[in-house]
Amino acid sequence: MKTINRLVTILGLGAALSIAAAAEEVTPMVEEAAKLDVKKVCDVKANGLEKVLAVAEKYNPEAIKLGVEFKRLGIRNSVYIKGLKEAIKAKKPEVTLHYKSKGKEKKKTFKTDYAAWRACTFAVRSLQQVKEAQKDYHLAIPGDGYKF
Amino acid sequence: MIGKIVKTSVAVLMGASVAYAGTFNTQAEKDRQALVKYMEKKFSDPAKNKQFFPYASAEDFKSLRKGVKFEEFRLGSYAYDKQGRSQYEEINEMPPYEDAIDAGEELYNKTKGIKQCFPDPAIAGEYPKFDEKKGQVVTLSVAINDCLKANGQKPWKLTKGKLADLEAYFAHMSKEAGKKVNITIPSKAAAAAYERGKKNYYSQRGYLKLSCATCHVQGAGNRVRREVLSPLLGHTTHFPVYRLKWQGLGTLERRIKGCEKNQGENPHKPGSQWMSEMLYFMAYMSNGLPVDGPDIRR
Repeated sequence: MKTINRLVTILGLGAALSIAAAAEEVTPMVEEAAKLDVKKVCDVKANGLEKVLAVAEKYNPEAIKLGVEFKRLGIRNSVYIKGLKEAIKAKKPEVTLHYKSKGKEKKKTFKTDYAAWRACTFAVRSLQQVKEAQKDYHLAIPGDGYKF
Repeated sequence: MIGKIVKTSVAVLMGASVAYAGTFNTQAEKDRQALVKYMEKKFSDPAKNKQFFPYASAEDFKSLRKGVKFEEFRLGSYAYDKQGRSQYEEINEMPPYEDAIDAGEELYNKTKGIKQCFPDPAIAGEYPKFDEKKGQVVTLSVAINDCLKANGQKPWKLTKGKLADLEAYFAHMSKEAGKKVNITIPSKAAAAAYERGKKNYYSQRGYLKLSCATCHVQGAGNRVRREVLSPLLGHTTHFPVYRLKWQGLGTLERRIKGCEKNQGENPHKPGSQWMSEMLYFMAYMSNGLPVDGPDIRR
């Protein structure tokens, strides 16, 4: 009986560990980001530039850690955040971003408000996608969630 | 009574785990067969299967072939894109990758340690592999660099150049020998790596919220601007490829990097666990197809 109990415990633990391993990507910060309303927290008019920047700065490092950082037209979100910080400090209405694309140095200018909105939404959405993918990815698999 | 229930449950669980131990690829094989079934159904008659091509025009349907069978998917989108296929056949009359095969053969014979690490060059269909000692997936590109490092040499770039040339030689030798893609899942850890790779492939990412599958499973055969999207089935069979866009040869890792950029995310590093596991999943999906590289693509 003792042996049987041990076996049941081992098998149970094994199953629990497998489930934990499958869910390892959803970190506490992903859970936190998943509850946010992007339109509200990244609204520059309602919250001000500093607060919106703070949201982007809070969540983007986690996106980098999980390998889900957004990149648009060659510009990583961390480049937006860096440029934005400098522009806010210097109270500039525009952000000039310096980045490398295909080995060449390039730059692009955006309105500060717009850059803040983008940096914030990119940081939060990248983490929200991790949470969404956890249950949604099955829906695209033929023979699993995708029926044809 | 309770004792009997416990005993029966344990026996069932033990039986199941023994059966599972023998077939770590059960789920992967289910996935692969379902994918083959889906692709064959979709391209049995595209004009009749309009539900798979929601944005296609009458002209688009005219340029798609009917009755595409499993083996033809090794050609990627040229299995069903009539126009693309005729251009492909024209270019292939004088393939631009032939010099790369020669260069690869020279690298194979002259680079210290390579011949010892890979005594049989017809191995393109066997990678990525799950290395039990390392507990991780190793792509052919990574295996080549590991070999170079073990022989006191600097690793090569994982996306193009010497490494792509050597892989072109391996692919050519595999094709000549009539080898097929033969990816194995030898353990529970390998099956877990496969599952992570599958999840990476089917998860929506980037500011465009696209998964690889959006374009290459559900989207396969649909048109994006002038390009007809290629299918997951057969994706890994023909690499490295000479891309007209690149004006040169590139590895599968290079292509994945480009795809990730198009999705709107910062690409993963070639050789990283993330990318290697996704390639493991992708290659498994092509199991049974002939190795068809190196090849050309637009």
